[in-house]
Amino acid sequence: MSWTVLVATLRQRRWMLLWYSLGLVSYSWVMVWFWPQFQGTEYVDLIERLPEELTAILGGSAADIGTLGGYFETEYLGLMWMLIVSSAVILYAMKAVATEVSAGTMELVLAQPISRMRFIVTRVVGLVIVSAVLTVATFAPIQLFGPRYDIDLPGETYALLYGLGMLFVLSIGGISLALSAGAREAGRPAAIVGGVLGGMWILHILAEVSDIAGWFEPFNLLRYWRPADIINDGTVAAEVWWVYAGVAAASLAVAVVRFVRRDVA
Amino acid sequence: MGSVSGAGEDVATVGNLCVTEGALRMQVVETRGLTKFYGRDRGVEDVTLAVEAGTTFGFLGPNGAGKTTTIRCLLGMLKPTSGEARVLGERVTLDGAALRGRVGYVAGEVRAFERETGAWHIDYIARLRGAPAPSALALVERLEFDPSRKVRELSKGNKQKLALILGLMHDPELLILDEPTSGLDPLNQETVFEVVGERVSRGATLFLSSHILSEVERLCERVGIIRDGRLVAEEDVGDLIAKQLRDVSVTFDGPVPTGVLDGLDGLSDVVVSGEATLSGRIRGDAIDALVKRLAPHTLVDLTVAHARLEDVFREYYAHDTEVRS
Repeated sequence: MSWTVLVATLRQRRWMLLWYSLGLVSYSWVMVWFWPQFQGTEYVDLIERLPEELTAILGGSAADIGTLGGYFETEYLGLMWMLIVSSAVILYAMKAVATEVSAGTMELVLAQPISRMRFIVTRVVGLVIVSAVLTVATFAPIQLFGPRYDIDLPGETYALLYGLGMLFVLSIGGISLALSAGAREAGRPAAIVGGVLGGMWILHILAEVSDIAGWFEPFNLLRYWRPADIINDGTVAAEVWWVYAGVAAASLAVAVVRFVRRDVA
Repeated sequence: MGSVSGAGEDVATVGNLCVTEGALRMQVVETRGLTKFYGRDRGVEDVTLAVEAGTTFGFLGPNGAGKTTTIRCLLGMLKPTSGEARVLGERVTLDGAALRGRVGYVAGEVRAFERETGAWHIDYIARLRGAPAPSALALVERLEFDPSRKVRELSKGNKQKLALILGLMHDPELLILDEPTSGLDPLNQETVFEVVGERVSRGATLFLSSHILSEVERLCERVGIIRDGRLVAEEDVGDLIAKQLRDVSVTFDGPVPTGVLDGLDGLSDVVVSGEATLSGRIRGDAIDALVKRLAPHTLVDLTVAHARLEDVFREYYAHDTEVRS
């Protein structure tokens, strides 16, 4: 890894990271603040009477929306949060390689005595840092402000949220980086990642009513992200860890291999 | 051990060393059958050349001929489809970091981080190289470059100055310059020629890619000419100058004297326009004869311009290209 490249990478992404983090902190705080007022409202009754398919489209979960986990999953972590953090890491991954190749700055950097392996490993470390910051910006406000608003979760639950949340972000970022690492410009790989995630989302909804869509569920990355279960029960199935850790590790390995073997100009 | 001949002298080669007129010299740049295709599109094909240590080599060709592709293969940015490239005695690989530490590269199209300043770039490249840049400040002053401005605020010429500073500031053994004076005003071009000349006089080897004949004439001893991805000629600059065409226009103070340039060897395409102006195309080695023919007459104007590179190719190398292809 190169400290020089890492510092430059984080410096050049600082505004993006700051605005995304501020957005997540604000969103999390609003969700925490709204929780006491949300409980027992007619809105909850309305949501609970909706068909499961419609609830799923709204980002809802199988969990009761009247529970803390159901509330957070339906109103925040089940859809909007995934959109926000996915866009952030897709943006990072595209700028990490594809945009630099098309802008020509990759040629400037790789004309210097830095190996491709060191360069791409540094960009991977940058992605890990970005994923960690986004995860902390999401869950730290809940942990910090929650006790004031009747949200009192055990430390183990927060540890699971931080850990699995970061792996989820890292797996999306890893897939994006793997595509970016072999691309000459950012448009196509970004569209592919966005399209695949959108397709997964649609299949996940259709799986409620279609056996064919249901067949894809084991391969659907979004299906394993169940924050309601973590918040309500404090549990995560072992296979979920393996899925996200496996996807993250494999995609980042692919990114490294593709980059060290490609033409960069 | 093999041998090749160039410019009328015998050169014996052992690995990347060669013996020229009894002196042992390393071949700093060497390609053998270098070929690069982008899918079905040709980049370069079967390029074989060698540049000895401490010499200056011009890589001349029109835009799109394959100059930049060759350079990118030399720097390990592109993986050759076939053939090989060696730089400073080492085979070029995609991951040849140590090798690039000994090379100074100025890209043809200046690309830098738009939101960063020149000073940030100088510091960044110095850190990547793991050593302070001894010549950075001197180059900034000589090129009258303002390092405090962001790249996006710089003109094309100033971006070119930044690229030159970044490429030359660490005193590399091998300078690979791709159209280095593009966008620079004549004064700064002159400064670049001086700086490069100084580096060469201190022992650096120059590999200069250009489509400007006069630039190559000014800086280089030998020239390789590339066209349509193939190296069509390699010769001494003196020979190229002799071959090189000039467009000449002469305006007399009266009607064009009858038969003034008749029979002048090397003159072609003669056209008389108006009463007093005569123009044509002349070979470089016939300039002296032309001037002597004109000397007895009174002239109002005389212009001699380098013919376009394409015209030189058409005149001298078209046949080579046809035969090879």
